[in-house]
Amino acid sequence: MELYLKNIQKSYGDKIAVHDLSLKVPSGVIYGIIGPNGAGKTTTIRMIMDITKPDSGEILVGGTPATKGFKNIVGYLPEERGLYKKMTLHEVILFMGELKGKSAAEIESRMDGWLERMQLAEYKLKKVEELSKGMQQKLQFITTIIHDPEIVILDEIFSGLDPLNIELIKGILLDLKRQGKTILFSTHVMEQAEKLCDYVCMISKGEKVIDGSMSEVKSKFGSNSLQIDIEGDGNFMASLPGVQAMTEFNNYIELRIDEGLDTNQLLKTIIERVTVRGFSVVEPSLYDIFIELANIDPAQMNQNQGAHHV
Amino acid sequence: MSKFWIIFKREYAQVVKKKSFLVGLILTPALMAAFTVVPSMLARVQSSTTEHLAVIDMSGEEIGQKFAASLDEYKLPDTDKPYYAVDQIFEPSSTDSARIQQLRDSLNNQINEKNLKYYVVIGPQASLIDSNTFMVTNGSNFRAISRFEHKLSDILSARRLEFSQINLEVDSVLTLTRQLDLTIKDAKGDTIPFEIKYFGALIFVMIMFGMMLGYGQMVMRSVIEEKNSRIMEVLISSVSPFQLMLGKVCGLGAATFTQVSIWYLIGMLIFFFRGALQIDPAIERIVFDPFIIGSFVAFMVAGYLLYSTLFALIGSVVNNEKEAQSFVMPITLSLILPVMMGVYLVQEPNATVAKVLSLIPIFTPTMMMMRVIFVAPTMTDYSLFSGLLGEAVLGFIILSLSVVALIWVAAKIFRIGILMYGKRPTLPEIIKWVKY
Repeated sequence: MELYLKNIQKSYGDKIAVHDLSLKVPSGVIYGIIGPNGAGKTTTIRMIMDITKPDSGEILVGGTPATKGFKNIVGYLPEERGLYKKMTLHEVILFMGELKGKSAAEIESRMDGWLERMQLAEYKLKKVEELSKGMQQKLQFITTIIHDPEIVILDEIFSGLDPLNIELIKGILLDLKRQGKTILFSTHVMEQAEKLCDYVCMISKGEKVIDGSMSEVKSKFGSNSLQIDIEGDGNFMASLPGVQAMTEFNNYIELRIDEGLDTNQLLKTIIERVTVRGFSVVEPSLYDIFIELANIDPAQMNQNQGAHHV
Repeated sequence: MSKFWIIFKREYAQVVKKKSFLVGLILTPALMAAFTVVPSMLARVQSSTTEHLAVIDMSGEEIGQKFAASLDEYKLPDTDKPYYAVDQIFEPSSTDSARIQQLRDSLNNQINEKNLKYYVVIGPQASLIDSNTFMVTNGSNFRAISRFEHKLSDILSARRLEFSQINLEVDSVLTLTRQLDLTIKDAKGDTIPFEIKYFGALIFVMIMFGMMLGYGQMVMRSVIEEKNSRIMEVLISSVSPFQLMLGKVCGLGAATFTQVSIWYLIGMLIFFFRGALQIDPAIERIVFDPFIIGSFVAFMVAGYLLYSTLFALIGSVVNNEKEAQSFVMPITLSLILPVMMGVYLVQEPNATVAKVLSLIPIFTPTMMMMRVIFVAPTMTDYSLFSGLLGEAVLGFIILSLSVVALIWVAAKIFRIGILMYGKRPTLPEIIKWVKY
C-alpha cells in the first residue's frame, strides 16, 4: 500500500520540527528515512501514525486520507519501546494482536512460528520481565508484525539491537518485502540503511535533503569516490589536487574526487608516500552524500553516530 | 471484539488475577469491623478486678461514709466481689489545712504508684456548694465518673432535703424527682440507635471511599506504568486515547464492582444463615432500605467514574507516582471531609450546609450517601421534587453531568499528556491542551 506525505509542516512552539516535507513511499518497497538525531524523523513517523497531527499538509494512504482502519493494517515500532513486564509473552502478543482487530485464534496460529524464528519459543509462558533486553526487543518486534500488517513502520529500527539481531531483523524485513508489504523505517545509522533500502529520503533539520530510489540518489553523484586502504598516516591526501573531501572510516579512507580526474595518476602519488593495500573506485556512500548535501560538520555527524553505535 | 473491550478485559484480569485482590477481599471487611466494632466493644468492657479508692471528707456530715456504703451495690461482672473498694476514709477538720495538704500529697503519691485509682474530696458544706466536691484520678473512666456522680448527687440531695425541713421521706422525694431517660422513636414508630446509624453510615461510606480512592489510584498507576515503560506509544498506534482511558476506567471499575458484589453476597449469606446470631432489627432496616441500596449503587458508580477519571487525568500529566502525590492529597481530603462531618451530619442531616455540600459533585457520593442513611429509614416523604429523595436525584444528575464533562476534558488532556515526558506541564499548558 502506497504512502504519500504532501507538504507536511509541524512546529512545537517556535521550533519547526518538520518543514514542508513531501515524500512518496511506493507499495512493496523498503523505504528509509535517514538523518541525524533531531532531524524530524520521529515527528514525521508520529504524524503518519496519527499520534501527532501536522499543522498543515496531508497524509494519504493508498491515495486517500487515512481512515480508522489504517491503525489495523499498520505495524508500528516506536523508538521508545516497552511492554507490560508482568504479563507473559503469550499474553502480551495476544493482547497486542487483538488490539489490531485480529481474532485470538488467528494470532495464536501465528504466534509459535514467530517465537520460534526469534528464538523465544521456550519463554512463551514466562513473564516479560524475565527476558534480557535483547530478547525484549525481539518480542517487541513480534508484537509489531503479529497481525500481518500491510505497512510496517519502524522508528530507529536498529537502536538497542546487537549485530546478530540486526541481521535477524533484516532477514525478516526482506521476507516481508517479498510478501508485498511496504516497510518504512528511520535510522541515523547510514551504513545499515544503505544495505537494506530500495528508497531513501534524507532529512536534516526538518527539511528534505534528497529522496528517491537508491540508484537514483547515487547516480546523481556519479562514481566519483575512491576507497583506499593504506598503512600509515593518510592525512596528506586531503590536500592532493583533485580531491574534494576525505572521510576516514575504521579500516579505509574515502575520497571524493573531481569528475574526470585521472585516478591512476592519483594512485601513483599516493603510493610514493604510503603503502597501499587496497584501492577501488566506488559509488559515493549515503553518508558522503548526506554530508555534502546537508552541509553538516562531519564531526557532529560522527558524534551522533558514535553515540548509538555502542 | 471492540478495542475498548480488549483494554477492559486486560485491566480487569490484571486486578482480579492478583493475589492481593483475594487478600483485600478478606482483609478489608475484617479491618473495617476492627475499626468500627472493636472500639465500641472496648468502651463497654468492664473491669475484672476491684478498683480501689479513698475519700477525704471535710463535711463533718459523714457523707464519705454514706458514699462508700452506696458503692456496695456495684459488683464485678459475674461475681459477688465489689466493683469498688473504699480503702480509707479521712475526716479531717476543714480548717486544718496542713493536715489536708499532707493527706492529699500522700493520696496523690498512691495514685501515681497505682495503689489507688481514684480519691474523692468532699469539701465543707458540700451539700450547699457543689464545687467543693471533686475527684482525683489519672484515667478518665466514664463509667466510674457517672456512677460516683449519681451516688453523690443522691446523698447530697438527701442532705439538702433534711436542711429544708420539708417533712417528707427522703426516698420518696428522690423517687418523685427522678430524672427521665428520654426514649427516642422515629416517625415510623421504631428506634434506630445513634451508634447503628453512625457506624452503618461509616461502613457504607468507607466502602465507597476505599473503592473510589483505591481503584481510582489503580487507574492512575496503570497510566503511569504505561507511560514509564513506554508502552503508551504502541498502544496509541492501535487504539484511540479515548478508548484506552475509558477501557481502563471501566475495566478497573468492573473489578471494584466484583469486589463489592462478593462482599454483598457474603453479607447476605451471613444474614440468611445466621442461626442463633442476633442481628439488630435496626441494622436490617438500614441494609434493606431500597432508597439506601439504590443510592449506594448509583453514587458508587457515578462517584467511581468521577474519581477514577480524575486519577486517569493525573496519571497522564505526571511522570511518576511521587509527582502524583501532590495531586492525590487534595482528592483524598475531599473524600475525607464528609466522614469527618459525620458526627454533625447524623444530628443535622438536613442542615443547609449539608444540603449545599451534598450537591457539589466531588462531595456528592459520600455526603449524600451519609444523609440518605441517616434519613431514609425514617423517611415518609418520597416526593421527587422535595425532601431528600428530590435532593438525591438532583445530586445524582449534577454528578452525572460532571462525570460526562470531566471525561470530555480528561480525554483531551489525556491524549497529549500520555506522550509527554520530562518536565511536568504547568496548569496554563494543560488548559491549552483542552482548547487544542
